[in-house]
Amino acid sequence: MTQNLSIPLSDLQPGDQGEVVQVQAQGPIRQRLLEMGFIRGVRLRVEKLAPLGDPMELVIKGYHLSLRRDESACILVHRVA
Amino acid sequence: MSLTIALAGNPNCGKTTLFNALTGARHHVGNWPGVTVERRSGTFEQDGSVLEVVDLPGTYSLAARSEDERVASRFLASPEVDLVLNVLDASNLERNLYLSTQLLELGKPVAFVLNMVDDAENRGVHIDVAALETLLGGPVIPTVGNREQGIPELKTLLAAMARGESNRCRRITVDYGHDIEGELAKLETEICRDERLEASMPPRWLALQLLENNADAKRRVEESHASEAIGQQLAKSFAFLEPHLGADGATLIAERRYGFAHGLVKEVATAPDEGQTPTSRLDAVLTHRWLGIPIFLGILALVYSLSFVLGKIPQDWIAEGFKALSGFAEARLPAGELTSLLVDGVIPGVSAVIVFVPVIMILMGCIAFLEDTGYMARAAFIMDRLMHVMGLHGKSFIPLIMGSGCNVPAIQAARTIESRQDRLITILVTPLVSCSARLQVFIVIAGTFFTPFKAALVIIGMHFLGLGLAVLMGRMLRSALFSGPSSPFVMELPPYRLPVLKATAIHMWEKGSVFLTRAGTTIFAGATLIWFLSRYPGIANREWTAQYQDQRQAVQALKLPAAETEDRLKALQLAHESRIVNTSLAARLGQKVEPVLRPILDPDHKRAEAWKDVIALTAGFVAKEIVVSTMAVIHQASDEPKEGERLSPLQVALRDGSGLSPLTALAFMVFTLIYTPCLGTIAMIRREAGSWGWAGFTIVYGLVLGWGLAWVTVAAGRALGFA
Repeated sequence: MTQNLSIPLSDLQPGDQGEVVQVQAQGPIRQRLLEMGFIRGVRLRVEKLAPLGDPMELVIKGYHLSLRRDESACILVHRVA
Repeated sequence: MSLTIALAGNPNCGKTTLFNALTGARHHVGNWPGVTVERRSGTFEQDGSVLEVVDLPGTYSLAARSEDERVASRFLASPEVDLVLNVLDASNLERNLYLSTQLLELGKPVAFVLNMVDDAENRGVHIDVAALETLLGGPVIPTVGNREQGIPELKTLLAAMARGESNRCRRITVDYGHDIEGELAKLETEICRDERLEASMPPRWLALQLLENNADAKRRVEESHASEAIGQQLAKSFAFLEPHLGADGATLIAERRYGFAHGLVKEVATAPDEGQTPTSRLDAVLTHRWLGIPIFLGILALVYSLSFVLGKIPQDWIAEGFKALSGFAEARLPAGELTSLLVDGVIPGVSAVIVFVPVIMILMGCIAFLEDTGYMARAAFIMDRLMHVMGLHGKSFIPLIMGSGCNVPAIQAARTIESRQDRLITILVTPLVSCSARLQVFIVIAGTFFTPFKAALVIIGMHFLGLGLAVLMGRMLRSALFSGPSSPFVMELPPYRLPVLKATAIHMWEKGSVFLTRAGTTIFAGATLIWFLSRYPGIANREWTAQYQDQRQAVQALKLPAAETEDRLKALQLAHESRIVNTSLAARLGQKVEPVLRPILDPDHKRAEAWKDVIALTAGFVAKEIVVSTMAVIHQASDEPKEGERLSPLQVALRDGSGLSPLTALAFMVFTLIYTPCLGTIAMIRREAGSWGWAGFTIVYGLVLGWGLAWVTVAAGRALGFA
């Protein structure tokens, strides 16, 4: 069951993979994240963190995207082995 | 027969390269009305048709939240557009198709360009173009924009469509499923009650935007007489959909669109090869945990030296050239108003504009290069943490650092920041960064009142003060002006690509010429105004001019050795100019405002001539380095040191005769650092922020902040026991 626990995307470590459960952000940020492909069931992989620890780089829908912790904290994901 | 084609696509899909390939050099750069988003349009001729192409800003969607998206979505919906050309990045098809699903709703013919097919092939992605055409319902032309592959075919197709000979467009839209489609139909019925609203854009497109909670669409509806009925239906639709499908409208619609895109890609394209791409190999080094920052700083140092060290060479030529020109004019023309207007007004004014051009072109070329390779996004990725703490964006770092060379191109460099808020804040704080022109003032003043070692410390201190203030003001402006949440940092890290040098060259040329035509006029007008303020009425005094001429002739009649004659003539000229400047309108202004500046420049009421500083500071409005040459005129002392002496005659005069103490000199420097940006910077702020209001705001807050900090300097200094 621990596999299916929803955690914020910001908790994933570089190399981890996840599956989007829900975007909790509201307003314009929510819309932007949806457009960039953060919709239910989409797989993503955390690539690395910036040298100063934030933002994070991830791969989603075959392209690379960077997100600040502020944003990645409001995306819920399932960890995927 | 002419046709307007709107070029739409995601950022980094090679749209601009394609635009250049289509229109060649025949294009025009301007701004979209009311915003500072660049509008590029151009024409090409094919088979007897003239086609106009308008390059829209690159956007991920038409949701109309950012300035860019609003421009794109409004223009696309306008009747001006006959045909939409959607550029798709073949190696990133799925996300690119999200925008296509929106473009297909606009009710206009859409043709597609499958760009960078070579990149996709290299990643093992093969795309079935014929199948893609069928599924998208429009013609698809594969291209490699930077090698002009596929461009002739594209031109032929567009010309055929212009003549109405191609009927390859079928109307295809995303199927949002039974429930959503049902609600869309109901909303459409309500929208069609208002014929004007119905005619302004396809009702289905408006209904979709309403379900997505789009603010722009809601505003449109509010203006309609059917707004109440539409609002009621919308509330009903939300109440039905949310519990029924388990998510809000925006999520559901985005899911269906991506469902469409995903299904389509699966149908027409093979999956990319596993394994490392050249981009990920490069990123392993360039955004490496330890190496990323040093490499970035190295690149920054390189760009800085290219712009301000290499760029200084042509800049010096230009400055020397104009100096020679004004010397020539002065020697040949009789002394008087017109000569002065030419020699002290027009020529320095034109020079003050043109000297910026080499630096602007080099810096903008470097930035375009970094942007086109994809490195700019990495630079923002690396620096964002630091800049975010300061209330700024990762991409603000480069303008701030470049500001220490010259504020003018630095403000122009802020264009790379997408969010208007972040860009505006960066533009407003960049003038606080001490530039090389202010450095010249600091060198003269600090060199006069401090020992060489302390002077160096003072000058370095000024630079840090400027940077520190930029950071502090960034935070303050953010909380004072933009109380809403800061814009999201959701930034694509595009694959690295080799830029097309021709595009970089075009970009450099555009930036240089835009500066000359737009900012140039402001700078020139300002320079002439300052000339007027600092020369009138004395320059029109015929008696003085006659006296000056007599004195010159008297010296020449003495037949002294050439060098001595030269020296004496120079002294006479300085005396003559000094007389004019010290009785000018600027001097009167100085006497008027002197009480205001007294607490910072003359706290003990000992300086009878503190108002003279105001003349220098007024003149410094044109360009900060002019503060020094104006002081030379005011104090009748040359700013060039004689051989073997550490201090120039001007510095000696300042030390012995101006009444400034080390403490008030320091306050003077602090004030010079902050009080107001130079004319070039003001003109650039006006252009880049889009209004005189922001330019005026910068002047006012600079004056207030400058006075305040100079006062603090004096007060703190006195409290610590310095005089």
